[in-house]
Amino acid sequence: MNKNKEKLLNSRYRAEKRFQFYGKSAIFLALLFLTIFIFKIFSTGYTAFQKTWLIVPVTFDAETMYLDENPSKEDLEDADYFDLALQTMFNLDKSASEKQQNDLKRMVSYFFEREIKRELLNDPSLIGKTKDVYLTASDDLDQVFKGNYPRDLPEDQRRVTDYQLKIFDQLVEQGRVESKFNLSFFTYPDSREAELAGIASSFMGSIFSILVCLVIAFPVAVLAAIYLEEFAPKNRFTDFIEVNINNLAAVPSIVFGLLGLGILLAVFQLPRSTPLVGGITLSLMTLPTIIIACRASLKAVPPSIREAALAMGASKMQTTMHHTVPLSMPGTLSGTIIGLAQALGETAPLILIGMVAFVNTIPGSPLDPAASLPVQIYIWAESAERGFVEKVSACIMVLLGFLIIMNLFAQIIRHKFEKKWS
Amino acid sequence: MNLVIFIFIVLLGFTSYYFGRKKAYSIQATNTRLTALPQFYGYYLAIWCAIPAFIIYSLWAIFEPSIVKLIILSDYSNQGYLDDELNLIYEKTKSLSRGQFSGEITTYLETSAEKYLNLRSIAQNSKVVLILAIIIASIVYGYKRISSNNRTREPVEKFLNAVLFTASLAAILTTIGIVFSLIFQTIDFFKVIPLFDFIFGTHWYPAKAFVRDASEPLDPSMYSDTFGAVPIFAGTFFIALIAMCVAIPIGLMSGIYLAEYASTKVRQYAKPLIEILAGIPTVVYGFFAALTVGPFLKDIGTAMGLEVSAESALAAGGVMGIMIIPFISSLSDDVITSVPQSLRDGSYAMGATKSETIKKVIFPAALPGIVGSILLGVSRAVGETMIVVMASGLAANLTFNPLESTSTITAQIVVILIGDQAFGDPKTQAAFALGMTLFLVTLSLNIFALRVVKKYREKYE
Amino acid sequence: MIKINSKNVDVFYGKKQALFNINLDIEENQVTALIGPSGCGKSTFLRCLNRMNDVIDICRVKGQIIINDFDINDKSCDVVRLREKIGMVFQKPNPFPKTIYENISYGPTIHGMAQSKNEMDEIVENSLKKAALWEEVKDRLHEPGTGLSGGQQQRLCIARAISVKPEVILMDEPCSALDPIATAQIEELIDELKKDHTIIIVTHSMAQAARVSQNTGFFHLGELIEHGSTDKIFKNPENKRTQDYITGRFG
Ligand SMILES: Nc1ncnc2c1ncn2[C@@H]1O[C@H](COP(=O)(O)OP(=O)(O)OP(=O)(O)O)[C@@H](O)[C@H]1O
Ligand SMILES: [Mg+2]
Repeated sequence: MNKNKEKLLNSRYRAEKRFQFYGKSAIFLALLFLTIFIFKIFSTGYTAFQKTWLIVPVTFDAETMYLDENPSKEDLEDADYFDLALQTMFNLDKSASEKQQNDLKRMVSYFFEREIKRELLNDPSLIGKTKDVYLTASDDLDQVFKGNYPRDLPEDQRRVTDYQLKIFDQLVEQGRVESKFNLSFFTYPDSREAELAGIASSFMGSIFSILVCLVIAFPVAVLAAIYLEEFAPKNRFTDFIEVNINNLAAVPSIVFGLLGLGILLAVFQLPRSTPLVGGITLSLMTLPTIIIACRASLKAVPPSIREAALAMGASKMQTTMHHTVPLSMPGTLSGTIIGLAQALGETAPLILIGMVAFVNTIPGSPLDPAASLPVQIYIWAESAERGFVEKVSACIMVLLGFLIIMNLFAQIIRHKFEKKWS
Repeated sequence: MNLVIFIFIVLLGFTSYYFGRKKAYSIQATNTRLTALPQFYGYYLAIWCAIPAFIIYSLWAIFEPSIVKLIILSDYSNQGYLDDELNLIYEKTKSLSRGQFSGEITTYLETSAEKYLNLRSIAQNSKVVLILAIIIASIVYGYKRISSNNRTREPVEKFLNAVLFTASLAAILTTIGIVFSLIFQTIDFFKVIPLFDFIFGTHWYPAKAFVRDASEPLDPSMYSDTFGAVPIFAGTFFIALIAMCVAIPIGLMSGIYLAEYASTKVRQYAKPLIEILAGIPTVVYGFFAALTVGPFLKDIGTAMGLEVSAESALAAGGVMGIMIIPFISSLSDDVITSVPQSLRDGSYAMGATKSETIKKVIFPAALPGIVGSILLGVSRAVGETMIVVMASGLAANLTFNPLESTSTITAQIVVILIGDQAFGDPKTQAAFALGMTLFLVTLSLNIFALRVVKKYREKYE
Repeated sequence: MIKINSKNVDVFYGKKQALFNINLDIEENQVTALIGPSGCGKSTFLRCLNRMNDVIDICRVKGQIIINDFDINDKSCDVVRLREKIGMVFQKPNPFPKTIYENISYGPTIHGMAQSKNEMDEIVENSLKKAALWEEVKDRLHEPGTGLSGGQQQRLCIARAISVKPEVILMDEPCSALDPIATAQIEELIDELKKDHTIIIVTHSMAQAARVSQNTGFFHLGELIEHGSTDKIFKNPENKRTQDYITGRFG
């Protein structure tokens, strides 16, 4: 009997150990996923912040540019740099065949003409002289230089030819390849060429969308919350509103995209692909989040404050507007920021209202077509070129950076300014 | 121009606030008792000044374009144009009047453009005149009211109350908006595709339904065997199932561990870290699933001699599960912590171990709440879009093999609607019908789950 | 005979000391009452006896508590076995949200006391009978325990505690949530139970202490001021504070 008991007890303790182990493993797994995830994004993305340049000697030969003597500023503007640029590349290997010349040309981005032109416009006295100019390397060479491109693939399976690699290796040996901080990633709009693609257009698109979302959602949500928490009579209708809000908070985001498409675009004829429509759609999504946060912090204001103001002869409206609402603001604001952070990461509804269109200009207002950061991630992730993989990760890093800042900000507001009622 | 009017009204509102208050002071100076604080006189006048003007302004903005369009297009009636063509003519007229038209300019178009410009300027002028008249009239009225020292606080507060109430309708309006945006397209869709075929059909090839020339009559037989939604319902269910297989054990166990075992220190760090998983945008998960998990599973599969699609349901569902872990873990953590301590004490005092207490007392007591949180997780899984779009196939295969690729409701909506949409085409309408299905399914899940959770909360409050 | 022997027990909640050097012996098969003003540490002491203070993170216990020649504060002590031997009834009835039957069978199940369903039925019936609840609930054994009245719930908790045949039963103000009739029933029950069990009861009612207990200990501000037979404590206490408390002059 006692033996049995001993056995039972041991097995109970083993069960306890096992259960704890499951719990620990669950936490461990969840954190492991997070780590792998962040590691993966960072390890593929950090290279995108560097950009590879080929330093090529350019001889600014007036003849190749069809320039007369003593050209004016306008002449320089209008000059033809294409031949000069081509010649520059061909000079890398004077004995190149026609096909190889083509390969040479494709070692740099199609911006090379402009990069040479800028150099000359900066210093017109260069005419007739030779100078080393930085040219953006093509995305494939960029990847080769960063070591992301397997060189040992058979030639017909990679986009860089053996010939290009040979020339490139020569340039590397001569110290004519350099890697520098990739400023253009932040200042250029999207492009079909990975080496020239930047996040400026989608970044502005995101900013405009979020601003529109804030301008619409915040006032409406706060007013609605004030009504529901302070003024609404307790009846079936307000119950219905409440149920509505809670459910709306859990409706899949893509449904809001359909709403934007079916109502904002189709009925109200608002302009497609614009942050205006994106922002309105997102604001409808964010509305319940802010309402819920605002109501919670209104609820947290103790009734004694309201009673004190009412007892002083303030009207209900004055009590609310002068005392309750200001006291609830920290909670509301941090809820709003969290709602906006959610909206900032939203993709599906924006795709439906056409913000996936290819935009290679930087939008100047909410009425210009634009993408947004998450949509940019989607667009780049869908493109086949290897150069875009690191761009996607880098774009994710930028997006995550913003989300972290917003969430920290929300935390700070909550902890610094929220009054603790005891 | 519109902006100018807008700013004008706003400025006038501020000015009238100032005048209203001044009036109140002057009344006060005659030793008359005011009926409210001087500000309220200001608010009162400002409301009278701005609100009627704004109402007219917005009504005008809503109706002007369609009225102008009607007038312009009345010239073209009885000429046998189709609706689409009339729309085109109108668009051309507009761009011509803006001087941005690059096409063949006919005399017809020119007269229309001229007429358009004419109409617009008439409209603009009469709008300005009307708004000015309204503002003057209402300011005069309001000023008279406050001059005779009428009550001002009550009307102002009533007005504010009305504003608050209107704002609270936003949520209902959004819901109505969702229903409206879905329902008409859905009904049109089912006019062409029988409901039965949609629900029980097993072939889903929306690509087959090429965008039809609008002038051709619609031939329903063209779409037989195109919009059978069984494969995507099954795919949605299947991927959600895989996701829950990952999320429920991990989420639930970590919720339990955090609530019952973890020291305050571990809890303080582990909980927010796990919640980061919920804050990561889904497109990022999608990228992760497509770039890392999919190929990884494929490699493992190949090494084991299995045929694994790079876009397997397993990759999409698994990553989706990771995304849902924090929802389940924090909700069940909350639910478990709200089980009263007295039940735990009762069980420990009987000589139960911690895990026995959890499994036999706390878990059953918290079950409704946990079920609610799991259902909310399911609703997320069903409505999740980007992970599936990026990591799972876009072709709707009817399969329950996790190593093959399959598609979901949300992914199909995106596939259909990405790029140009032609309203009135069954393919576009199909997306809305899917959206309706999705909305109904998630709505019922949410309502049910929220009710369960609420009941549970009430029990222990 | 001495059942429990506590030596120099100190208890701390974080930095705050709640019990100071408690030395108290508990007689076997008798009822010992612990009395004293609110916050003086009666519950804390009671919870030391089955190590329920382990559940509270910040709580530390020092000193020796010897039950059956064994120090329960020793590292080698197994709380699960200890709590099987020492049952507890709480201030507020806390039946599990399960059926009446499951509430009682919970302890015997986890401790593997019944080999068959019949045996379990027997344990349940006996426990309920001992707790004087059988007649009232025998037809609704499979209804939730939370559906009973307050007094019935408390008797259910007592039945639950005695289902594992503990040697000692700790009761922390078991009647404070009950009306006089239910209280009388429970007191009767306590009298009955002391035949098989050693009982320690915390109470705020002097009358109750006098009615049910053979021994009494008086706590004040975390110290055990006086203890001895109930008769002596109530009739001629040695300490002035005890006298004041019993006669209702403070507390
Ligand atoms: N969990 C806890 N954390 C911190 N301090 C505690 C805790 N429980 C009790 N205390 C403190 O320990 C002291 C003794 O508490 P205890 O509950 O033992 O008193 P009591 O005699 O049972 O009082 P009552 O008659 O009101 O039940 C009190 O000062 C109390 O504040
Ligand atoms: Mg107590």
